[in-house]
Amino acid sequence: MLKSGEEHEEDLEKQRAAVVELRELEKSVEANPDDPFLRFNLAVCLWERCECKEKAAEHLVVAVKLNPQNATAFKYLGHYYYEMEKARALKCYQRAVSLNPDDFESGDALCDMLDQSGKETLELSLCTEASQKSPRAFWAFRRLGYIHLHYNRCSEAALGLAYQKLGMFTAATKSYGRAIELEDRRVFALIQSGNIFLTLGNFQKGVEQFQRALEISPQNVSANYGLASGLLAWSKECMNMGAFRWGASLLEDACKVADKIAQLAGNFSSIWKMHGDIQLNYAKCFPWIEDDENVEFDVETFHASILTWKQTCYLAATSAKKSYQRALHLAPWQANLYIDIGIASDLISSMNENYGQDQHPWQLSEKMVLGALLLEGDNYEFWVALGCLSGYNALRQHALIRGLQLDVSLAVAWAYLGKLYREEGEKSLARLAFDCSRSIDPSLSLPWAGMSADSQIRDMTPEEAFESCSRAAQILPVAEFQVGLAKLALISGSLVSSQVFGAIRQAVQKAPHYPETHNLHGLVCEARSEYQAAITSFRLARSAIISSGDTSKSCLQDIAVNLARSLSKAGYAADAVQECESLRKEGMLDSEGLQIYALCLWQLGENDHALSVVRNLASSVSAMERAFAAASVSFICRMLYYISGLDLAVSSILKMPKEFLQSTKVWIVASAIHALDHSNRLALAVSSSQYSLLSHDEIIEKHYLTALANLVFFFIFFAATLTSDVIFEWELLVLGYAIYQCILLCRWAVQVKHGSDYCLGFQSGISHVKNALHSYPNSNLLRNLLGHLLLSCEEWKETHVASRCCITEAPNCASKQGLKSGCEILGAGAVACYAIGNVDPKFSYPACGYQCLNGPGAVQELQKYMHQEPWNHRAQYLLILNLLQKAREERFPSNICVILERLILVALSNECYSRESMSYQYQKFQLLLCASEISLQGGNIAGCIKHAKNASSLLIPNNYLFFGHLLLCRAYAAVDDYTNLRQQYIRCLELETDYHIGWVCLKIIESLYNVESDSKISVLSFKKCLKEWKKSLNMWIAVFNLVLGLIYLWKEEYFSAEESIAQACSLASSESCLFLCHGVACVKLARQFCSSDYLSLAVNSLTSAHANSVIPLPIVSLLLAQAEGSLGLKQNWEKNLRLEWYSWPPEMRPAELFFQMHLLSIQSESGLKTPSRVEFCQSSLKWVLRAIHTNPSSLRYWNILHKLME
Amino acid sequence: MKLAGLKSVENAHDESVWAATWIPATETRPALLMTGALDETVKLWKSDELTLERTNTGHCLGVVSVAAHPSGAIAASASLDSFVRVFDVDSNASIATLEAPPSEVWQMQFDPKGTTLAVAGGGSASVQLWDTGKWKLIATLSIPRPEGPKPSDKNSSKKFVLSVAWSPDGKRVACGSMDGTISVFDVARAKFLHHLEGHFMPVRSLVYSPANPRMLFSASDDAHVHMYDAEGKTMVAALSGHASWVLSVDASPDGAAIATGSSDKTVRLWDLSMRAAVQTVSNHADQVWGVTFRPPGGPGPRAGRLASVSDDKSISLYDYS
Repeated sequence: MLKSGEEHEEDLEKQRAAVVELRELEKSVEANPDDPFLRFNLAVCLWERCECKEKAAEHLVVAVKLNPQNATAFKYLGHYYYEMEKARALKCYQRAVSLNPDDFESGDALCDMLDQSGKETLELSLCTEASQKSPRAFWAFRRLGYIHLHYNRCSEAALGLAYQKLGMFTAATKSYGRAIELEDRRVFALIQSGNIFLTLGNFQKGVEQFQRALEISPQNVSANYGLASGLLAWSKECMNMGAFRWGASLLEDACKVADKIAQLAGNFSSIWKMHGDIQLNYAKCFPWIEDDENVEFDVETFHASILTWKQTCYLAATSAKKSYQRALHLAPWQANLYIDIGIASDLISSMNENYGQDQHPWQLSEKMVLGALLLEGDNYEFWVALGCLSGYNALRQHALIRGLQLDVSLAVAWAYLGKLYREEGEKSLARLAFDCSRSIDPSLSLPWAGMSADSQIRDMTPEEAFESCSRAAQILPVAEFQVGLAKLALISGSLVSSQVFGAIRQAVQKAPHYPETHNLHGLVCEARSEYQAAITSFRLARSAIISSGDTSKSCLQDIAVNLARSLSKAGYAADAVQECESLRKEGMLDSEGLQIYALCLWQLGENDHALSVVRNLASSVSAMERAFAAASVSFICRMLYYISGLDLAVSSILKMPKEFLQSTKVWIVASAIHALDHSNRLALAVSSSQYSLLSHDEIIEKHYLTALANLVFFFIFFAATLTSDVIFEWELLVLGYAIYQCILLCRWAVQVKHGSDYCLGFQSGISHVKNALHSYPNSNLLRNLLGHLLLSCEEWKETHVASRCCITEAPNCASKQGLKSGCEILGAGAVACYAIGNVDPKFSYPACGYQCLNGPGAVQELQKYMHQEPWNHRAQYLLILNLLQKAREERFPSNICVILERLILVALSNECYSRESMSYQYQKFQLLLCASEISLQGGNIAGCIKHAKNASSLLIPNNYLFFGHLLLCRAYAAVDDYTNLRQQYIRCLELETDYHIGWVCLKIIESLYNVESDSKISVLSFKKCLKEWKKSLNMWIAVFNLVLGLIYLWKEEYFSAEESIAQACSLASSESCLFLCHGVACVKLARQFCSSDYLSLAVNSLTSAHANSVIPLPIVSLLLAQAEGSLGLKQNWEKNLRLEWYSWPPEMRPAELFFQMHLLSIQSESGLKTPSRVEFCQSSLKWVLRAIHTNPSSLRYWNILHKLME
Repeated sequence: MKLAGLKSVENAHDESVWAATWIPATETRPALLMTGALDETVKLWKSDELTLERTNTGHCLGVVSVAAHPSGAIAASASLDSFVRVFDVDSNASIATLEAPPSEVWQMQFDPKGTTLAVAGGGSASVQLWDTGKWKLIATLSIPRPEGPKPSDKNSSKKFVLSVAWSPDGKRVACGSMDGTISVFDVARAKFLHHLEGHFMPVRSLVYSPANPRMLFSASDDAHVHMYDAEGKTMVAALSGHASWVLSVDASPDGAAIATGSSDKTVRLWDLSMRAAVQTVSNHADQVWGVTFRPPGGPGPRAGRLASVSDDKSISLYDYS
């Protein structure tokens, strides 16, 4: 690179100056040869000029001799000798460094040389020396670091320590982690990183680190200490979460470790303090463990188990106290140890039975706290401790206020002060103190608890009180808070909530000796319908009362009533009666007890006894509170109805004071009974008191119930299910029985009596629900009820509407209270409405005028339903039926058949189908028929016959059995076993059915296989079975006539066929299929007799068929075209043929259609050519070719082709 | 701690999406998201763009559960007709077909080592363990029935097992039932240990904390998520906030958070140290059947990912940080 002119000149200038300087120096050296300074300067000058190093070295040697303290000179000499004589260089450098330890050039060079010759110890000592001499000898420190890293790799650990000291914990853990990675025998790094993890609150990781350290050196005290404190801290975390058992197990481990350290180093007070902490926490944390829940607890075993639990806690507490004492003995100047002893001894004395009874002038705990205060009088925490532990309220108040004087924002002190004021009854002061405390520290649990306890003064709703108590219990899981939470839940009606359950379970572990805990636990379990657990808890509560020696009657009575109620709910009527009787002997049977007593007696069948109890109850009604009286009255009415029948119930309702009827509960019962009563005696009473029903829900229920009342007794059991939610919950059992009876009754009613009033009731019920739905369009209950009613509607005309009116809503819409969920109705509707609105005309053409839209969606919806409730056998059942429907639609494709087979197999294995109940038997029958059908379609005739025989052997009405035998007929027909076929046919005739479709099928079988028998099925016999079907009678007769006509067609008796079908058409004037058949018959006849009359008839029918069909049916237009063509109407022929072309889906067009198009194109070629018409899209030759391509076996097409080719 | 929406695929399937899980990354490809739906298909998606990698067909009814082997090489899918199809993830070659009576396969999970597949056995009231080498049934862990026939006995359908989870150390299996109880089993001895109580409606989803082998999270129809000390039989906390059934729960790989999907159409993120929902995502239009955190490891971005699937046929992907 060229330098610029100026720079060049500058350089020259410098060189010149240097030369001048050199000259001057040389002169001065010559003048004073003994001045080491001048010589040195000269040497440096020479050295830097780089050309005469030898000369410089000579001067340096002289300079050094003159002044041996010049470190820089030695450095230069070292540099000089470095290239030539290593040993000399080394000495020079050594000299230089020892003179000036900060000289990094020499130091580095020296170390490099030592490194190269392998003298590492020398290097180490040199560096250490240098680093000790001067703090600025950075090179030495760096070298030392390298050496350490090289030899024992503790530099990372050192780095970690440095970070830790600086408070950079994450960086420190990383460094330690690297140190451990480099060498895992380093206990130091493990312990330190463990400590950091503990500081960071990650106890689990910390404990792991200490455990690793202990694996390396099991006797290491600090590792052991760390482990124990880690476990202690972890267990505290567990306790704060409420996982007492976990905490206790951690503490047991910690205790073992602490014992070990105490042996290793028993002279540290801190170790004993920790030992004490562990024991104290163990005493607080150790849970009472309920034995296996199924074991019956008697008082002794309970007492014993409580005793052992208490003993364990007590031992731990005393051990803690001893440990603290040892610690104090070792370090009596530590004031906090006094407090610890005080707390421990307070815990111990609280475990003694007579806690709080002996007012010793100086309690031990109080004394110890005072000791601490003497040492450190200005520690506010000690004052708070005194405030908690002292026995005198005045002293406590003083201590707390003193603490607050020292630190006014001491939330704990405020909280305890609040508690103290509350105990003394100064509510407003207490409130002030709690508010203060809460505003200072909202994460303190006591003020929240205090707030919920003061709910009455604070005008809080029970819900708000519950919320704040739940917060308190969440922050600190103390048994007292948890019990309080459960009590508040009882008031605010949130016993079912999970928080309460969790809290009360934890409370049972921590305070098993309080009967209240068990009682509340029982109530919570009962609210969650876990009656077995509730019974156990109530028994435990009783044991707790007895073992505590406190025999206050009222508690025992409450628990006994609770127990009896749970027993009766769980179905142990006899046990419940026993409880009630023992109560009665003591004279403590209140009205609730009486209700349970009566109910259980009735369940046991002791009706007389039950009645007398009911009378007892009735006599005490007037003395009761209003709400409770209403409940009792409704109960009495029900019991009267169940025991002595309708009349007595009605008369007692009439007799009772009218104001009772204004209660919703009573009204619902009364109207249910009214619905059952035929003679309308209660009409006035029920209708007069409707105005009292106010809330929206209740009005809906009213509509619901009125609708049901209209249905006479058919739907009374729905009323029962509904009312069960409203009325006393525990009457569910009674209702369950009633439902069962009602179901039986309705089955009987449906079979035996198709009374006119029944039908009327049905229709008016439907219209009532429709009206109600109009006013409350978003009520799912009403919607589903309507759907259900429409489905149950006898003549099945409304099924397509049914599925449309229900909503398959989100699952949480508790389906408990409804009768059927929307999904079920949808599924059932889809099955009932045979015409699945198939969107794909590949399989069939929808001819149903109702345009039912559920179609394939139903299968998906039901899969969703089953996915949501996989345990629900109804869902499975409906899915199977719908899948079968789909399979039938698609001509039984094998993949669906396989699924169906498997589904049916599993469904049949469900144990519910072994029950006697009619509905289950019917479902089983249906499933077996499905299985049989699948086997039949799959060609497995043996399986088909087996299933069908199974089905026919079930105990169900003949109405249904008919279909089992019908299927057997088909199976035997498939294997040409005519003798068996005839037997089954006759069996069908004997059984008879109300279902016309059965007769129709049987008729087809009869004629297809020419079954010989004495009694043939005629129109008359068909009509006989149809007489219940009023609205759709004509329709079904039409269908029957159609079948007859079809049979004639098969037999080629066209006259009779035409006659039958014509009759059918006249009966059902809107069915396109019928007209199509009629048209076909007429065309046949016309062809046979060459009669134009029949042709015009055919044209008429086919035109009607065309007009009535929803979508253009194929064939219709073709026949119409032919018929009109034969009549000479060429225009119409062309038009209809074109229509025909469009009524086929493209992939399904038959060969004949192409051929006809060919004809059309030939015909039109002569006339006007309109290119938009379909027949002109290709030549007539092409049409014929396509026809041949589709059906090559037809000679006719080939002939035409031949002609065309010519 | 937050979720940030990254990508949503509308109409990812033709019908409701019911199941989702991440297939861990292998050396050759990053982690994939696997979803199963009512439309009888299983689809594999590439993160973060959610591009469709492949569609597996072959099931005859809706797919209720999918599970991925910890190695990422194989995966399993189960449908309502209870066929479990085990296949190679990269080639889609079938490895095995496990058959059980319908209604006896619900949730599935591979154990952390990958030697066993646990299947929640629905109506059989048990958990089936399949050996993943020979694909043979090696054990059936049955929930013991309460002793003796009592009038109010809970019948067997109440013990319908819906969900299953392995503890991270592979020693325990927990399963959730329709009556709300959770049963814990010792795998090595194939022995029932105890029930965890607290829910009173079906438990649809279970997951162990990856950080702590004792901590179990459960999602139930009673709209709560519970935290259990699974060894100590103790319910530690109940997280409430969902307005309806909680259908799915998954724990984040760092163990600091859980995510839940619910019938109330939301996905919630819960901070475990605060025991409170810190975020509610409501971009789904129907109930959310599955939430799943991406396991750590593999090439590509290391950031946390959460996926959720829903009845509205869509899949959503979030960044978890």
